[in-house]
Order: sequence, then C-alpha cells, then structure tokens
Amino acid sequence: MTNTLLITLIISLIYMVVANRLYTYAAILSFQGFVLFGVSFIELTEISLTNLIFILLETVVFKAIVIPAFLNYVIKKNNITREAEPFLSNFISVGVVTAIIVASFLLSNTIQDDQLKRIFFVVSLSALFTGLYIIVTRRKIITHVMGFLVIENGVFVLSLAVGNEMPMIINTGIMLDIFVSVLVLGIFVNRIGDVLKEHDAEQLQQLRD
Amino acid sequence: MSSIGLILIVTISLFFSGIVIRTKSVLSGRKGPGIFQPLKDVWRLFRKGAVYSETTSLIFRIAPSIYFSTVLMAIFFIPFGSYPGLLSFRGDFVFFAYVLALGKFFMIISAMDTGSSFEGMGASREALYSMLAEPAFFILMGSFALLTGYTSFFEIFNNLHFGSHTSYALGTLATFVLVIVAMVENSRMPVDDPRTHLELTMIHEVMILDNSGFDLGLILYTTNLKFAMYGALIANFLIPSGMALHYAIGVFIGIQILFAVMVGIIESFMARFRMNHNPQYIFTLSAISILLFLGVLLMLGRFD
Repeated sequence: MTNTLLITLIISLIYMVVANRLYTYAAILSFQGFVLFGVSFIELTEISLTNLIFILLETVVFKAIVIPAFLNYVIKKNNITREAEPFLSNFISVGVVTAIIVASFLLSNTIQDDQLKRIFFVVSLSALFTGLYIIVTRRKIITHVMGFLVIENGVFVLSLAVGNEMPMIINTGIMLDIFVSVLVLGIFVNRIGDVLKEHDAEQLQQLRD
Repeated sequence: MSSIGLILIVTISLFFSGIVIRTKSVLSGRKGPGIFQPLKDVWRLFRKGAVYSETTSLIFRIAPSIYFSTVLMAIFFIPFGSYPGLLSFRGDFVFFAYVLALGKFFMIISAMDTGSSFEGMGASREALYSMLAEPAFFILMGSFALLTGYTSFFEIFNNLHFGSHTSYALGTLATFVLVIVAMVENSRMPVDDPRTHLELTMIHEVMILDNSGFDLGLILYTTNLKFAMYGALIANFLIPSGMALHYAIGVFIGIQILFAVMVGIIESFMARFRMNHNPQYIFTLSAISILLFLGVLLMLGRFD
C-alpha cells in the first residue's frame, strides 16, 4: 500500500510539471498532503501516540488544507497572473522530470544497505530535484514557494523512511513547514505580485525631469 | 480454437465506431445514427471505384491494402483467455509493434506521394506522435515480460496474476497507458479531432484526403479494426487466466463495449489539445511507463 501511495506521489510530480494554472499547483500540493498523511499513517507504527497524532494532524490539516487554501487566497488577493509561465516548454519539463526520476532510481540502486527502504529514497530525491527544477524554471515568486513546498514534501518522505528509529527527523521536516508558512505570509503581507522587481519598475515610469 | 480471438475482434470491429458515435450523440442530446451506420458507409465505399491522381505512383495504390493487412497480421498475435493467437512465438510483441509501424510507414509515404503539402504535414505529425508513443508501449510490455519471465503475448497474459496492492496499482497504470496509446495511435480526441475539416489541424484525416472509393473504405475499416485490437489487448490484460470460455467471451465483449463508451465519453467532454501541447501529453505516457517499470522492480523484490 505504501508503494502504491508513493508511486501516486511521483505521478503527481509529473502532473505538476506540465500543469498550466496556479490553482492546479495548489490542488496538487493539497493532494500530496493527503498522500503523505496516508504514508505516515501506515509507516509510523513504532513511535509514541501523541507524536503520531501530532504528525498526522500536521500533514492533513497543515499540508493538505491550510497551506493550499492560503496559497489560493494569496493568488486571488494579490492579483497574481493565473498561469505558471515557465521559461522552458512543458515538453522539455516532462523529459527533465523523467530523467530526474530515472537518475534518482539509478543512484539509489547503488546503495547497499538493508536498513533503508530504497523506494523512499527514490521518491524523496525525485521530489527534491523536481522542486528545485520548478523553482529554477518559473518566473513568479509564488511558484518558487510552491517549488519549495515540493522540496519540503520530499524531505518529509525521506524522514518517514527512518521515522520509526529517529522521530526527531520528522519534527525537523515539520519545522520546514513552518518556515514555508512564514514565506507565504511574507508574500501576503508585502503584497508581492508576480515578481519582486515589477513594483520598482513601475515606480520608475512615474519619474519626471 | 486459436482463431476465436480473431473472430471476436473482427466481430467487435463491425460495430465499435458505431457505439462511439452513438455515445457521443446521446451525450449531446441527439438520437444519432444507428450502430451499423459506419459499417454501411464502408460498404457503400467498397462498391465504388477509386480515382487516382496522375501524380501518384504505385505506392499510393498499394498503401491502403498494406495498411489493412498489417493490422490484420498484428491481430493474429493477440491471444484470447487461455487460447494463444493464430501465431505466437517468443518476443512476438516486438514483431506486433513493428508490423503496425510498417503499415503506418506505408500510409506516411503514400501521403507524401500525392505531393500535397497538407498531406505531408499530416504525415510528419503522425510520424512524430507514433515515435513518441512507441517507448511507452515497449516499456509497458517489457515490464510485464520482466514480471512474468516470458516474452510472448500469450505467455505474458497467461502468467499475470494480481494479488498485492502494488499489482493493482500497476494494473490501473497499465490500463491507463494502453487506453491512451490506443487513442493516440487511432488519432482520436485529445490528440486529433476526427471531425475537423480544417487541413491545418488534422493529423490522420489529412493523410487520406486523396484516397477515394475502395481504398478509403479499407482505411476506415482498418481504423475500426485497430480500435478493436487495442480493446482486445486491454481485455486480455483484465481477464484472469483460466476463466471458463463462455464467461471469458462475455467479459471480453463487455470490456470492448465499455472501452467504446469510454472513448465516446472522452471525446464528448474533452477538447482537442493545441498542436504544441500534444508531444508533452504523449511523452508523459513514457514517464508513467517508467514508473510502472519501477513498480515491477518493487514487486520482484530487486528493489525495496
């Protein structure tokens, strides 16, 4: 069952790269939150009950509902363009993400360790690099934050792989979540639209001599 | 007994596109033509003579027949339940794919043969999309060959067992990939709109603009046959091995009708993609097949 959920997570990554609208991005992030909830519910069998309840609540409330809803609210409130506007065409993106998945697959195949479940390693590495790719190829600040959220989901998956032995690492992943929410709040409070520079460039037009 | 698959596929192909058209008309609130109307059209075309342009050569005349015969040849390899196809040997899925590619190649060069610029454009698109869909099919079949340890259609389908969660996920993914490959190979809705009559946006339809009479009828019928062939592949995938014959026939026909209705529903509710969105859409299939390969490695325990 865990394998099925993790494969679904990778498919959602591929979909995210070809998606056009920002609302789709937020919906995919919420979907990934639910998938992570399922994975942690199945995998974390040996940690204490309070810690488990905290983690499950964090994934389902924070990752799956609050952050995507807030992202949608920010997009609407700040009048951000609804399209993703990538620098590269989607066709190249699909190729790059496929290459990322295959490469992380080959890389994790070289690990000779019986303790680590390698599927977690594949999924988290591909999520990490896909998030990085989304950050690099998109123009708008809000898509950078979304790419960071994908990276953070990848870190969470990796922490789940060793979660039963080291519950502290999961808490570190959750710390990243709080960091992201601060970033989104920053965008909201400072009313950043599409890009940072846009605001300054508009002021230059008002110059008189 | 091994010809039962061939007989069933040919029977289904007679009313496959009829069901698709009927579904589309019911969904758009019309009564629509009868289920056998496409077949009647083909029969009308069969009784006509063909007109050949003076600029075309022999290739243009033989291409439709070759197209038809390659699809028929490919159907010979498709097994039915616990019976193998008419022909079956190790590695026959590679032969299957390239027999289909041969037919497609002849359609492409016959379109180029007419000297019409529109047809050349359609031919180029068709070649590109087939090229992008090919790795998806091979990674899919290769994964299942790895999973079962056999390399012919009959043995692969006969030794495929569903049991764990991962295998259900793989089954869903494989059915999805096969359905979309069938839509791409037949130039149906999300990639190509069979109803448009604007040469700039057509793919398959533009390639056969110069064909008429008997040849056109043959090409139209081959399209139906090809759809039924992919439906049979999907059905084979879903019918468990060792099912009694009469049940298997019922399930087979049910899956084919379901497939046709699904094609109709997809065509009713989806618009055609813009031309430059198509390659990425088709290439996504290959990405998903690679995930399928990963899942197969997981199931085999070579990777955990």
